[in-house]
Amino acid sequence: MAGNNLAHAVEIYRARDKRARELKAQGKKIIGYFCCYPPVELMTALDLVPYRIIGDIREPMSRADGYIESNICSFVRNCFELSLKGRYEFLDGVIIPHSCDAIEKLCDIWRYYNKSTPTYFLNVPHIIHEGTYLFYRAELLRLRQSLEELAGKKLQTEDLVSAIRVHNENRALLRSLYRLRLPDPPLMSGSEAIKVAIAATALPVLECNEMLRGIISEVNAREEPLPSGIRVLLYGGQIDDAAFVDIIENCGANVVMDDLCTTARCFWHEVELDVDPINNLCRHYLDNIMCPRTLRQGTNHVSELENRFGYLKSYAAEFKATCAIAYTMRLCDTFEFDAPDLEDYLTKQGLPFFNLEVEYKLSSMEQLRTRIEAFLESVAEKAVRS
Amino acid sequence: MSEERPKQKTTAIKSTQTANEAYKVVKAMYARAQEAVEQGSPVAWVMVSTCCEEILKAMGVVPVYTENFGAVCAAKKVAEPFLHSAEAHGFSRHLCSYARNGIGYVIQLKETGMIPPDAPAGGMAHPSVLIGGSHVCDPRYKWYQALGRYLDVPYYAVEILEPPIDADFEAVKQYYIDYMVAELRGLVSFLESHLGKKLNPDILMECVHIAEQTRTKWWECYELRKAIPCPMPTQDAFSCLVPNDLDPADRASLAFYERLYDELKYRVDNKIGVIPDEKYRLLWGGGLPPWHSMGIFNYFESLGGVTVMDITYYPGSPCLEVADCADPLERIVRWMLHRFTEWHSRAARGCGNVIVQRLLEWIDDYHIDGIIMHGSESCRAGTFGQLFFKNVLKEHSTVPVLFIESDIVDTRSYSEASTKQSIDDFMEVVASNKENRIGQSGFN
Repeated sequence: MAGNNLAHAVEIYRARDKRARELKAQGKKIIGYFCCYPPVELMTALDLVPYRIIGDIREPMSRADGYIESNICSFVRNCFELSLKGRYEFLDGVIIPHSCDAIEKLCDIWRYYNKSTPTYFLNVPHIIHEGTYLFYRAELLRLRQSLEELAGKKLQTEDLVSAIRVHNENRALLRSLYRLRLPDPPLMSGSEAIKVAIAATALPVLECNEMLRGIISEVNAREEPLPSGIRVLLYGGQIDDAAFVDIIENCGANVVMDDLCTTARCFWHEVELDVDPINNLCRHYLDNIMCPRTLRQGTNHVSELENRFGYLKSYAAEFKATCAIAYTMRLCDTFEFDAPDLEDYLTKQGLPFFNLEVEYKLSSMEQLRTRIEAFLESVAEKAVRS
Repeated sequence: MSEERPKQKTTAIKSTQTANEAYKVVKAMYARAQEAVEQGSPVAWVMVSTCCEEILKAMGVVPVYTENFGAVCAAKKVAEPFLHSAEAHGFSRHLCSYARNGIGYVIQLKETGMIPPDAPAGGMAHPSVLIGGSHVCDPRYKWYQALGRYLDVPYYAVEILEPPIDADFEAVKQYYIDYMVAELRGLVSFLESHLGKKLNPDILMECVHIAEQTRTKWWECYELRKAIPCPMPTQDAFSCLVPNDLDPADRASLAFYERLYDELKYRVDNKIGVIPDEKYRLLWGGGLPPWHSMGIFNYFESLGGVTVMDITYYPGSPCLEVADCADPLERIVRWMLHRFTEWHSRAARGCGNVIVQRLLEWIDDYHIDGIIMHGSESCRAGTFGQLFFKNVLKEHSTVPVLFIESDIVDTRSYSEASTKQSIDDFMEVVASNKENRIGQSGFN
């Protein structure tokens, strides 16, 4: 695949299930999962291929309306629409974590209408106290047992340790890829980076690592720099289509860092590799996934804001972002509750901030172009004045 | 000068004498909290269903239930300014209207330095601590986090997770109990350290015993509703739930349900129904109530329909396995887990879904002719699944289902006229469905 790795990633991004279906035809078992919380290491260690379930903002909604109410998160409704249309029929099992109300409640419906495929529910605590890790450990052991039945084999500790290593390597490669946007102008666009990150969730990890190494080398060898623009830190929930990023970048800006459910939130930290691998998975998935569905408290409001959003300040500093845009999925309660605090916090850091409440559909995003343009113009004017 | 228009009545006319006492209980709760503040005693703002009622009672902390305040504001038609305040501060109009109401109240409290004059029941007294929880929905822990912008008050959130139906409950039971007992121990430590009070375990055990009796008596009241005619409609149940859900460890709450039970028993024995001619028996099959328009229950009654059962605040049957449990916190947790899992094995053997299994059983037990579900615009956790439940119900039952659409608090997109029109249409279907059933079976 010399010289074509990025093109290959874009191809996977455009037809995410292609490789998974090929692997299925070769006898591999493919396990679908929602959100950042199901430990992919457990799946890989049991020789199951992890496959992140996402929606399709280009897919017209026609059938899910008869099953899921219109005031429910449009991403969840969209995923179920795809399921009804058979887009996920190749999966051998599905893991649905209790990441938020909508995903949790989807579980019963998904299970009921996909009876031939096992659906596993994983309870993920929202609040971190002393006893939380023990509980989550027990939940992961329960999940392990279910996955062992699906895989038809027992999990060996050395296989799990090895899976943690290769997934850590995967995370490190994705971080390296993301840091190709550190220079000004960046070596790759935000749109490209997001496409790669999304493609990465549809490939076996070893295969993905090879592809990522190739992409990094290809991008490093680029001779033509991208045009320089306002450097945007993108924050938000489920973006699994580059269309929104394209809108921002087509306005002349560079999305230099994105903290999303599908991107950096999943790979910015690694799983520790000390004595007990299951405990390490517990720590990683509870502590390191910075989703607002997890309550992070502090001794007072100021320290709590640091606990919740301090990492965004670090991203902005490292990637030299000059403004932040939040993609807040409409009807996503945990993100919507955070919006006023996030705005306060980032504004106090001197980072111009724009919160967009967005529906999970392409037509809704197109309508945002003018507002994004206006925001970026105001950022540019402010930069000139200062 | 134009004449002042008479105020439109939006609360429901209740059927039982005891239900008419319920609002006095609510007002007394808010008054107790106001007195506590004046006397320098601790007040906790609390979410319902966080398993802390007995602990607060034992520690002498007066609770204020902020979701209940949302319901009261909706019923008294004073919520809108609070909703506007929250929205003006950047909280999306899509967010839970209980939360927006509560946040807006705090914003006004902070801006004026006083309890907003329109606040019903004298308003919510200033809290010493906040106790949220993860059970039921995400807004129940995110709302209090959001209050951190306005209130410098210590906050503890209790994690309460329901075991999934795909798990073997006996296999997971112990670690669910251990975890949630640890959560409650954490709550006790939090209260002890922030309030400078120690929990007396003997007093806690006494509170737990009273709460268990209260819950049992409330459940027995629900059982009496199987009678034909039904002695208590849902609008009464939605008022009478207050002592059980908010203050079960108080002897006055137990006495409230003893009175209610006696009243219902008398009505059952003497065949006293809600309306003179109970033609159709309805089941409130999902969703929180439209607190702003509880009069719709009377509208069903005007068409011969009585809501004889409801799922939303169903107290659950008594948990018998706590009898030998000497740890009061574990007793609380076991009782709650029993409530969560009561239908699990039956659903696994039956239709496969816990909610629908309950509805199906109640259709038989309560002789149901129609089911009402309330899709609340901002209460996603209470609304998600209703279409699914209806679809699964259809596979097992011919009982018709009505969806009412409004909100728990926010009336800005609610139309009473169109709701009544859909009720009219629904009741015609209920009537014809019942006629067909009687025709086919040969008896009523």
